[in-house]
Amino acid sequence: MMRVGGAIGAGNHIDRFIPVSKLKYYFAVDTIYVGKKLGLLIFPYMHQNWEVRYQQDSPVAPRVEVNAPDLYIPAMAFITYLLVAGFALGTQSRFSPEVLGMQASSALIWLIIEVLAILLSLYLVTVNTDLTTIDLIAFAGYKYVGMITGVVAGLIFGRTGYYIALGWCCISIVVFMIRTLRLKILSEAAAEGVLVRGTRNQLRMYLTMAIAAVQPIFMYWLTFHLVR
Amino acid sequence: MRDSTPPHHPRPNRLRRLQGIVAMAEFNNFNTDFFQSSYSIDDQGQSTYDYNAAGDPFQNRQYDSHTQQPGYFYPTGSQQPYTGQIYQPTPTFTPSSPQSVYGNSFEDEAPLLEELGINFDHIWQKTLTVLHPLKAADGTIMNETDLAGPMVFCLAFGATLLLVGKIQFGYVYGISAIGCLGMYCLLNLMSMTGVSFGCVASVLGYCLLPMIILSSFAVIFSLQGMLGVIIAAMIIGWCSLSASKIFISALAMEGQQLLVAYPCALLYGVFALISVF
Repeated sequence: MMRVGGAIGAGNHIDRFIPVSKLKYYFAVDTIYVGKKLGLLIFPYMHQNWEVRYQQDSPVAPRVEVNAPDLYIPAMAFITYLLVAGFALGTQSRFSPEVLGMQASSALIWLIIEVLAILLSLYLVTVNTDLTTIDLIAFAGYKYVGMITGVVAGLIFGRTGYYIALGWCCISIVVFMIRTLRLKILSEAAAEGVLVRGTRNQLRMYLTMAIAAVQPIFMYWLTFHLVR
Repeated sequence: MRDSTPPHHPRPNRLRRLQGIVAMAEFNNFNTDFFQSSYSIDDQGQSTYDYNAAGDPFQNRQYDSHTQQPGYFYPTGSQQPYTGQIYQPTPTFTPSSPQSVYGNSFEDEAPLLEELGINFDHIWQKTLTVLHPLKAADGTIMNETDLAGPMVFCLAFGATLLLVGKIQFGYVYGISAIGCLGMYCLLNLMSMTGVSFGCVASVLGYCLLPMIILSSFAVIFSLQGMLGVIIAAMIIGWCSLSASKIFISALAMEGQQLLVAYPCALLYGVFALISVF
């Protein structure tokens, strides 16, 4: 019989290094959630309610709440990005396993830098938010979906297709990030659209917009050399 | 002693039978003579051994520890000479355990395949499950971790690649290892119960079977055209559907089959890349 939990399970020594039970929350997804979330990432304009429901102080699992962040999509998108990058380089005869390793490490490093920068700015602005580090990793990983779409369009339709698809995905991810982070970083009154004066809220607003604006820069930086 | 005979198994050769009979005889002697002996064990000489020492696994290694006494010391009474198992810490005599005494009769040993853990019926069942991706799978077939089948399939895949001229066993094994590790982490995080690494490796190895069909196509005609891409896509879909179907039924994850199939498709896609390019 399968050992319950294997090596990654409750009450195991790996728990000291990686918070496994917290991670399990981010992987409690199903196919419907993934479909809806991907749709949101590409077309977030029609979605009205961006709040995450809570259940006795802890957020509801992503399975039942489409606004909750998850780690399945970012993880799969990262790996797919690597494979698509390898494929794109292969079609240009620039492929070798070392290049794939370089792509992987550079994408990973940029992700870490981005998450650290956001954490630092959240700390400096002294925002009281319940955004955990894993949440930030999830949000930073969502842009890979747009990057994959851009590269695939570039492979099929050439450079024009790449620019069109990437442009669309960049705008979508900016809107997605602003609408999601607004609820988490801004104060409640400002999040509802009421104009609240004060430098604190202005700082928070600038921070949200900066985080959202940095996404397209990364998306272009990590993909433009893949499409000729 | 032994009430039931074990099921059919291959008969060992005549030498084994003789050794078994001798071992039985000496064990009988040991049992009856031990409690009736009239002298201490420490005085027992080393040279009462009179049987084939080469084939006996209980060869006494204490030749140097009893050299004070004169060598030959015959027991009093009308007992048969001891044949050397006194100094061995023999385990409690259990006639039904097949691995207790090596020189035991061959009827006590389990069949060879059962000892090795290879169950041909289960292997065939699992292969049929892989070959029919649309039929519902039985969740209990993955209970025992069987790595013999996957090993054979990996070797067959490498062999068909060899036929096309690609000596890439290293890539095949490396990618399988990394892929199994990734699937193991993902499945443990996504499912309620966990999985063991052997189970993941076993399932992924079995579902490699259609990939062997793809690489044997590569032997016949080149896959680097539209037809090759279509066939490769179909085979990747077949492999990942089977793997996800087995995982879903074995781990009781509902509503997640496509989510499990996608990483499997990525893994098998890499294998297909090796076959095609």
